[in-house]
Amino acid sequence: MAQTLEFHSIHVGDAPPPLICGPLTRTDFVRYAGASHDFNPNHHDEVYAIANGNKSVFGMGMLAGGYCARLLTGWLGDVSLRRLRIRFVSRFWPDDVITCTAEVTEKDDHARLVRCEFSAVNQNGEVIIRGDASAYLGDQG
Amino acid sequence: MDLSASGKAFPPYEFHVERGKIREFADAIGDQNPIYRDPDYAAKSSAGGILAPPTMLRSFLYETRDSIEALKVKDWSYIVHGEQEFEYLAPVVAGDVLTAQDTITSIVEKESRRAGKLQIAVIETTFRNQRGETVQIARRTLVETGKRIEE
Repeated sequence: MAQTLEFHSIHVGDAPPPLICGPLTRTDFVRYAGASHDFNPNHHDEVYAIANGNKSVFGMGMLAGGYCARLLTGWLGDVSLRRLRIRFVSRFWPDDVITCTAEVTEKDDHARLVRCEFSAVNQNGEVIIRGDASAYLGDQG
Repeated sequence: MDLSASGKAFPPYEFHVERGKIREFADAIGDQNPIYRDPDYAAKSSAGGILAPPTMLRSFLYETRDSIEALKVKDWSYIVHGEQEFEYLAPVVAGDVLTAQDTITSIVEKESRRAGKLQIAVIETTFRNQRGETVQIARRTLVETGKRIEE
């Protein structure tokens, strides 16, 4: 959304309200497959996924990454991101509830950049992805 | 993986950033932000148009398999997507025509107690728009493990 967050009003340790997604469904995975062109059958074909040693289909790491990016843009602004890095840690499954959180870890007063770390965890607190981002909070509309 | 593929650059490929595709992507990540769907709102925003969400260009890396095939992976069940990084230099909006080019920037080998010998490849994709401006750089890290990775 249109954001009014300014560089001077954000501080190390600040965090947005967590973003909670789910319980996730197979339809959520299929919708993301169509949107992202990720047609790895482990994410939509239950027969294949089970034959391949999984308990069911599982979600795309980039779907969790998309949820975290949504948390960051909703908090820091639509066009403020300058860098985003996502590390894929573990898988997630239908019926999981994913919670995305972020926190400011550093401010660069000269470059007007805010650095933050983020993660997505499941309902048991197990990390699915973690990452870091930097956002420019200088002049912007 | 074929270690000699490190440093290889691949032919550029072009694609269109479409408004409907942006909305579809925003829907898939549950983002109702009007900058991804309302042309009047988006035109007045600092993006100047319907904006591509931050992780969307990853979708277009499926347009070509040249760089992936050059890695000469024997068994994809030993490959994990370890990391995905984006650098944002300018907004990407609906109507843009982007040219992407993949380069395998590095392939390194490491020993891991848990997963045996690892080979770690980084594929960098540079995206330029119709004005020749570099708008994004994406880096995906693919890891080939010595053992099949279980949960």
